[in-house]
Amino acid sequence: MTIDLRYVEDYLCDLALNKVGPIIKTKAGTQSEYDLKTGSRQVDIVTAIDKQVEKLIWDSLKDEFPNFKFVGEEGYIKDVTKITNEPTFIVDPIDGTTNFVHDFPFSCTSMGLTINKVPVVGVIFNPHLNLLISSSKGNGVRVNGEEHDFKSKIQSMGPLIINKSIVALQPGSAREGNNFKTKMKTYENLLSADGGFVHGFRNLGSSAMSLAYIALGYLDSYWDGGCYSWDVCAGWCILNETGGRIVGANPNEWDIPVDNRTYFAVRGTPDSTKKDQEKYIEDFWNNVGGVLKYD
Amino acid sequence: MALTQQELKSIENNIVNLLKEQVGPIIKEQSGQYLTQSYDDKANQVDLVTKSDKNIEFIIKGKLKELYPTFSFIGEEEYVPGETKITNEPTFVVDPIDGTTNFIHGFPYSCCSIGLAENGNPVMGAIFNPHLNQLFHASKGNGAFVNDEPIDVAKRPLSLQKSVIGLEGGADRVDSPGSNFDIKMSTYKNLLSDKGGFIHGFRSLGSAAMNICYTALGIFDGYWEGGCWAWDVCAGWCILKECGGRLIGGNKNDWDIGIDRRVYFAIRGGCTSDEQKKFAEDFWNQTTGDLKY
Repeated sequence: MTIDLRYVEDYLCDLALNKVGPIIKTKAGTQSEYDLKTGSRQVDIVTAIDKQVEKLIWDSLKDEFPNFKFVGEEGYIKDVTKITNEPTFIVDPIDGTTNFVHDFPFSCTSMGLTINKVPVVGVIFNPHLNLLISSSKGNGVRVNGEEHDFKSKIQSMGPLIINKSIVALQPGSAREGNNFKTKMKTYENLLSADGGFVHGFRNLGSSAMSLAYIALGYLDSYWDGGCYSWDVCAGWCILNETGGRIVGANPNEWDIPVDNRTYFAVRGTPDSTKKDQEKYIEDFWNNVGGVLKYD
Repeated sequence: MALTQQELKSIENNIVNLLKEQVGPIIKEQSGQYLTQSYDDKANQVDLVTKSDKNIEFIIKGKLKELYPTFSFIGEEEYVPGETKITNEPTFVVDPIDGTTNFIHGFPYSCCSIGLAENGNPVMGAIFNPHLNQLFHASKGNGAFVNDEPIDVAKRPLSLQKSVIGLEGGADRVDSPGSNFDIKMSTYKNLLSDKGGFIHGFRSLGSAAMNICYTALGIFDGYWEGGCWAWDVCAGWCILKECGGRLIGGNKNDWDIGIDRRVYFAIRGGCTSDEQKKFAEDFWNQTTGDLKY
């Protein structure tokens, strides 16, 4: 069975623009009665809207692609839900839930498709900024339907070097224990004049938007731990299409699966040998102050 | 003789037009354009940005001199530390490009910030981000607007644990015990930790003016900063006040500050002044020392 990836991309764009986006846009900031997840994710806010949007997406995809598998944040069951080689939609109905609750304009919907566990379609829509970014394997990237000229963008950005770069960082919801300590230590190393001395960091509170912003050439990299496959699947495909790369957040994790839980995403460069990208990744890893580990 | 409410509104309208028609297009066009040209030489990069900065400041100053010849003018580019003072006279306080790093990298949060102070207090402010096409503006007693929509901050409780706060790494990165960088990093850790503030989250956009605007909108509950200047906060402060928010010092018990305090804490409106006070005290309790500039 050959799957027309561009058709899937267009279908997801339509779904994002016309069905999911309007709900996210009108409901953001209105959810004062939200639940806080318990346990180590106490700061992770789940809303009824999240569940409602996931159902809407799932129902729509089941009709159109009845044989595809579906993995969504809300339906996910730890140790039970597995990503197989089958075509699988991996969906975060609302990425950036804290943003959504607080009306910070970086909540979005993120919908990806994997085949053989590799992201091959990615669609991210932020209705607050009216930004739709989409791609499918081998078909380039589109921004609001227009072809994204990432090659000239990358040319204009010059070499990728640690102390010239802007890095997306977000502490996430776990605020105790070893992972939290490792993150804080790494941030300090990256910023310090004696360490990576990066040009700056930005925190948008959304993995999908951070990946989208790298693909657009606004950011150079994004380092995180604790996120899930649905946070990165769509962005991964988009980033791949622009020559970017995703590796693990811990040193020497060069090849990782979609559900690795720790990620380091880096933008593309004009260097076709990819040596500068590898050097950047190694230089960055030297600033990681510990090991991120998630069950 | 203080400027009247009508006079302030007329100034606000003129500044809005200046930002929209003359300043915004330049920022939008030049953002992200200097990366390759300047890469080989750091000094060169600073020069290029300064050139854009100076060019925009020159345009603004010229227009303001023409419209308000008697008003004083303080701009980032002309500022002389220790010499330039904000007097009681009506004074425009201008940052031609706020978020310089964003401007260099093309991250869409650079903006122009034009404030007016009278008797040392901000009485008019306008901030334009041409990338997102967001123009925030206000004047004393006349309310605050984003583009042409009045800003109406949703009423809801304010507490530290449920807050999202704007925090930045800043440019000062000297990592020694008791340094400003050290205090910022340990304070961030306290704010996030489940044994400390355990806040919902922090966000970093790399622009003081935009962070204050987002606090004014109520998107951020607070914004804490050390190291910025009068021109980074003057316009935003007026907008924040008109939205029911408050700007106080970033260090403990610094309730009453001047525009050039260098250490700031912005608090959103949409809640009671008692909640704002409690929020400030709870926040200060997480700081690990006084920031000094």
